Amino acid sequence: MDLIRTRLSLPLLFIGLSALAIVMAPNPIALAAPAARHFRIEASSFQYTPAAIHVNPGDQVTIDLVATDVVHGLYIDGYDLNLTADPGQTASLSFSADRSGSFRFRCSVTCGALHPFMIGKLNVGANDLLWRAIGLGLLAISASVWIRPHSGRAPTPGCAPRTSVDDVA
Amino acid sequence: MKAERFAWWCVLVLVLGLPLAAVLTRSNPEAIELHGRMADTGGWMPGDLTAQVGQPLQLRLTSDDVVHSFAVGQSALPAIDVLPGQWTTTTLLFDQPGKYTFYCTRWCGPNHWRMRGTLEVTGTAAEMITPTTPLYVALNLDLDAPHPSDVVPSEKPSAARGAALGLKADRPVTPDRAQSPALRWQQLRSSSLTENLSDAQVWDLVALSWRSNTTSARLAEGQQLYAQNCAACHGETGRGDGVIAPALQKTLTLPGLALTGHETIAPSDFTDARHRLGASDAIFEGKIIRGGMGTGMPYWGPIFTSEQVQALVDYLWSFQFDQ
Repeated sequence: MDLIRTRLSLPLLFIGLSALAIVMAPNPIALAAPAARHFRIEASSFQYTPAAIHVNPGDQVTIDLVATDVVHGLYIDGYDLNLTADPGQTASLSFSADRSGSFRFRCSVTCGALHPFMIGKLNVGANDLLWRAIGLGLLAISASVWIRPHSGRAPTPGCAPRTSVDDVA
Repeated sequence: MKAERFAWWCVLVLVLGLPLAAVLTRSNPEAIELHGRMADTGGWMPGDLTAQVGQPLQLRLTSDDVVHSFAVGQSALPAIDVLPGQWTTTTLLFDQPGKYTFYCTRWCGPNHWRMRGTLEVTGTAAEMITPTTPLYVALNLDLDAPHPSDVVPSEKPSAARGAALGLKADRPVTPDRAQSPALRWQQLRSSSLTENLSDAQVWDLVALSWRSNTTSARLAEGQQLYAQNCAACHGETGRGDGVIAPALQKTLTLPGLALTGHETIAPSDFTDARHRLGASDAIFEGKIIRGGMGTGMPYWGPIFTSEQVQALVDYLWSFQFDQ
């Protein structure tokens, strides 16, 4: 019994520490020095090019909005910023990306039938939650693979019926 | 029985009360409803309005599709945004009879400029203003004739450098609005005043004389008009590379065929010295007022006042001449 406990607790300790590291480790991208970033977004019916922009938290972001067919707008959710551009009159907007996360931007001027679907995305910082969740998932998979051969003959519920079939044979 | 009677009363109140409430709550029953639609699907509805001099014309505006804007040509009325799902009211008052054009000022589609309607104002004014004849009409100029310049400057002429030369090169306002900078340069070059000057310096004098014919306020007005009305096709830099320009590439592919009026050609490049320096104020004015026949260029005659056209023409020269 003691033997099993020591054999189990060492990997468990290691897995626990790894999990802690995955959850708590600081994101190296988030530590990058804030920079000035300049984007030119072309708005046409009914899309933005580029449709997704990535910045780091703390960056000074400038967006030039160029409408290429009709009047379009750009409203950034979460930052509460609005911009309207007429064709031939490039509109510009500058803000500090001080909130991290993913934010939708969408057209704020009714520009046609598919206007509600004219959306894009502003990513401030990497998507930490997703990467940490993937890390934890991978850790869980590798832990289950690693622990099973060491944990003796503890049958899993899925294996139980097959053992009984073997016994009968 | 009591409950049934109550139900009947409810139905009666609803059937009679709802239309009554709708009629009573309408802000001004005399107002004319004007619907905005893209030119391709009908334009303004109705497209013809009538009014009387001195009598207010009330309008209730809404849009059936996208964002439009309502403005009346050659009037000081500021443009009013016309939004889908919203009613905007406005009151117009005219003191001059005539045929006005009302139009959309927000780019609402490729045929945005075709979204125009007419507003006929009848009656007599206390003081009748006779419209001025544009110079190109008075001079009977052929606007479609090519006007290449034989001489072009090696660099962009500058009015400031011309002023530094200390020579007087004022351009009389009339009748030389029909004179091209190329002709002016040749006159100055052959004059004894400029014997000691280089060709580029003579061009600077030309720039100075064109600059001295306008004011900063007029240039600023011209710049604003250009941004709102011209830059979408001719480009913010004047190179003819506006956002709509790719859609206006030459559609007239077969030479010799009669024009149908649906052709378009690439917007002209205001920075092209050979093409521009051979033109004059009068030609620019004419092209703006009449539009480019068979090119896709709208006619702005019923939209801009003659002062606005002049401001625009002055601003167009700034693509050729530095301050």
